[in-house]
Amino acid sequence: MTGAPTITRAGDSGVVSLDYGLASTMLAVGSVPRAIAALRNWPEWVVEPAMPPGVVDIGTTSEINLEVLTSLRPSLILSTPFLAALDDKLARIAPVETFTVYAENGDALDRSYAETLRLGAMIGRRQEAEAFLAHADARFGQLRERARSLSAPPVAVINFIDQRHARIYGGPGLYGGAMRRIGLENAWKGEASYWGFQTIGLEQLAELDEETHLVVVSPLFPPDVLTRLSESPLWTSLPFVRRRISVVPGVLMFGMVQEALRFATLMVDVLETAAR
Amino acid sequence: MKAEFSRFGAPTLAALLLLSGLGLAILDVLPALPHLEATGGYDAEHLLLLYSTLPRMATALITGAALALSGTILQQVLRNPLASPTTLGVSAGANLALVSVMLAFPSLTGWGRDAIALSGSALAALAIFSISARHGFSPFSLILSGMIVGLWCGAAAAILVLMNDQYLSGIFIWGAGSLSQQNWAIAASLLPKVALLAALALLATRPLALSQLGDAGATSLGLPIKWTRGFTLAIAIALSALVTSAVGVIGFIGLVAPQIVRLAGARRILSQLIWSPVAGAGLLLLTDQAIKLLAPGDFVPTGAVTALLGGPILIALLPRLATASRTLPGVASPGPAIDNRAASFAILLAGIIALAIAAIFFGRTPDGAWAWLPAGSWDEILPLRLPRVAAAFGAGTVLGVTGLILQRLTGNEMASPEVLGVSAGATLGVAAAMFAFAAPSLTIQLAFAGGGALAVLTLIFLLSARSGFGPNRVLLAGIAFGAILDAGIGVVAASGDPRGLALIRWMAGSTYFVDNAVAASALLIALACLIAAFLASRWLALLQLGTETASELGLRILPARAVLFGLSAIMTAAATLVVGPLSFVGLMAPHLAHGLGLRRPAAQLLAAALIGAALLVIADWTGRMIAFPYQIPAGLISALVGAPMLLIVLRRRT
Repeated sequence: MTGAPTITRAGDSGVVSLDYGLASTMLAVGSVPRAIAALRNWPEWVVEPAMPPGVVDIGTTSEINLEVLTSLRPSLILSTPFLAALDDKLARIAPVETFTVYAENGDALDRSYAETLRLGAMIGRRQEAEAFLAHADARFGQLRERARSLSAPPVAVINFIDQRHARIYGGPGLYGGAMRRIGLENAWKGEASYWGFQTIGLEQLAELDEETHLVVVSPLFPPDVLTRLSESPLWTSLPFVRRRISVVPGVLMFGMVQEALRFATLMVDVLETAAR
Repeated sequence: MKAEFSRFGAPTLAALLLLSGLGLAILDVLPALPHLEATGGYDAEHLLLLYSTLPRMATALITGAALALSGTILQQVLRNPLASPTTLGVSAGANLALVSVMLAFPSLTGWGRDAIALSGSALAALAIFSISARHGFSPFSLILSGMIVGLWCGAAAAILVLMNDQYLSGIFIWGAGSLSQQNWAIAASLLPKVALLAALALLATRPLALSQLGDAGATSLGLPIKWTRGFTLAIAIALSALVTSAVGVIGFIGLVAPQIVRLAGARRILSQLIWSPVAGAGLLLLTDQAIKLLAPGDFVPTGAVTALLGGPILIALLPRLATASRTLPGVASPGPAIDNRAASFAILLAGIIALAIAAIFFGRTPDGAWAWLPAGSWDEILPLRLPRVAAAFGAGTVLGVTGLILQRLTGNEMASPEVLGVSAGATLGVAAAMFAFAAPSLTIQLAFAGGGALAVLTLIFLLSARSGFGPNRVLLAGIAFGAILDAGIGVVAASGDPRGLALIRWMAGSTYFVDNAVAASALLIALACLIAAFLASRWLALLQLGTETASELGLRILPARAVLFGLSAIMTAAATLVVGPLSFVGLMAPHLAHGLGLRRPAAQLLAAALIGAALLVIADWTGRMIAFPYQIPAGLISALVGAPMLLIVLRRRT
């Protein structure tokens, strides 16, 4: 990424992150975590940026491996409110700092900005964090311009749960926030949890605006879902399935600024391709 | 008048159900009817009506009828008013088979899917029949083993999901039975299959009617009764498997529809076979339409709702089940004479202490290598490992003792703490804590779990006090609570709410969150339980002789049962807080103790306690080691590995 400081070696910071979004934000401000939770699934969920080699895997968030964590002698543990039940145990190993991005009454992207600054200050990279956010602002601004010049249609963002159901994104979540930020209209006006999605039967897509551009976020599940849906008359007669549908690579939907930026970029890219 | 009612009651009621379902359905589509004709341009209303609303209604009707037919046959052939695809665990078996195969082959469809679902149901049915054959297919033992198998299949499916959380919600939606449709494919493929099976079922009407005369009567009429039964049972199982394969698990329609029709006066088998599918179709359509009406826009899987509604109906129906108190077969016969021999206990005790020490000191270093813990790391690592092993030890002891008490009390070898409903209550408490607080601390979770357990305990006591704490009633009520809870969690999990995932994790039962205080209390509670159980072991010995003999010998049955159930409930609640609701240790430990030749109450009690402790310690250790640095909850390991083992043990015993 441009404008970011050079990345240090793994673990220089001695900071351990229990959350993907916080780990990715560390990378964005030029620091590398000593260890993260569920490293094994990082390539599948976060996709980009890649986690540098040498970072230690400390198990799933439901059961962080405390023995491994202890042996690393971390200097700081980054956590989220969802792991509050662990605080006592973690505090015996290292100071714990809790960052709140996903919670009631608030916008995930706005909160991500504030928490990025706090994280930067906490790990001695306040300036890098400010630079990163300024850079993100600039990028969002450019994307907003590009989206405006397209006079982009309303966009619906889904990923498939199975052949009959999907999650549709919006509300205060990260995808929804990123779309608002670059001035894209979300075709989904319905409710969404603070995680930013709602489970729907695919037939509910028929209620969306006819002009909608449908964006499907990978991974496709089941892998042949699009082929199978091509046999469904309801699906194939949706006007946007016939004309305006794109599949984008996976983006962490429960991430922070870095993920919002990547998501927004992918969106504008596919909209430009579609407009051509 | 009465005769008139019984002749027309069933058709009238079934028609009424169907008509009210259809009525709601028509009200639902009425505004969209002008869109039935294609207008040429894009017409969302038209698409929705033609490819979503109407196929959904058709699917509801077909699946409702198929499940009701399946339930009717099961109730008839097994002569058991509570038999149904849900209560016999065959739906859950199909679902588990589908989930496991779909994780490997997510694109599986069509006949392959049906075949997998069928083999899952068949396996579940086989397991249940082979257990209850030992009880001469007594209605109670059939339902109890059926619901245990169902519970286990549900837990196993949840666990598979937990290990693959990317696919989480999809699989939960299957488990919770969604009727959402986007074309006619499901309805069109299901209809001919169900129709064919229904025709076959009608062909078997005469033999079935004769089998109502009882085995002797039917055989004397020259019917190969065994084959007829096997054939019709196969039809019933196939019906429920096809439904599960098409839309997932739809709970309790197969139980309730035949009951309704029979209550309305359908006596003859033919009229039951005809009218209960009509009632079932109406019932499911009605439920589905009601959900649409009451929760527009929200994603609420229909199958989970029918299960939520069906649980209380099951509880209400319990008195219809003849549940004579019975004694454990074979307990009266003296086992091999090693009972009470100090040496065998000494060996058992020494083995378990050695095991616990090994579980504490043998493990993996942070880089994954196997090693005995070097003395230099004791300060750092022991505070992390010791409480887990101690808690597993304590909880295992408690579960082993509770399982034994319950099995002795009910005279049923499938009784275990899982089916008391108390753990379901504890889980409900944790669920409430998760929804009341954004981030409940461990203390809050424990307090809520305790409250939930207490609430369900009180309910069960109130419900079963009237039946004089008839042990079988108590267990079935408990298991019905378990089913209701499962359905509730299904609704949350299917919506994709992360708290659903957190709940499932809690149910998986890990010693992970245990701290020194909890571990110490677990050990203390285990000791207290053991003492209390020993004091009560004379009662157990007496109760085992049958209620009449026991009261002749001076035992006051009612208070004795109340105390034993109360004790079991408290112990279950305590163990649930440590290792979650579904470890099945309480089911296994008494059998393993029995297998060691320890059969008198006091001896078996101590052995069950020690074996329970050993099982959980091993499960906890395995969970910490097997996928290092990732950890798998102990409750999960013991349930997944232990329950099938138990089936083998039970089968070997004659």
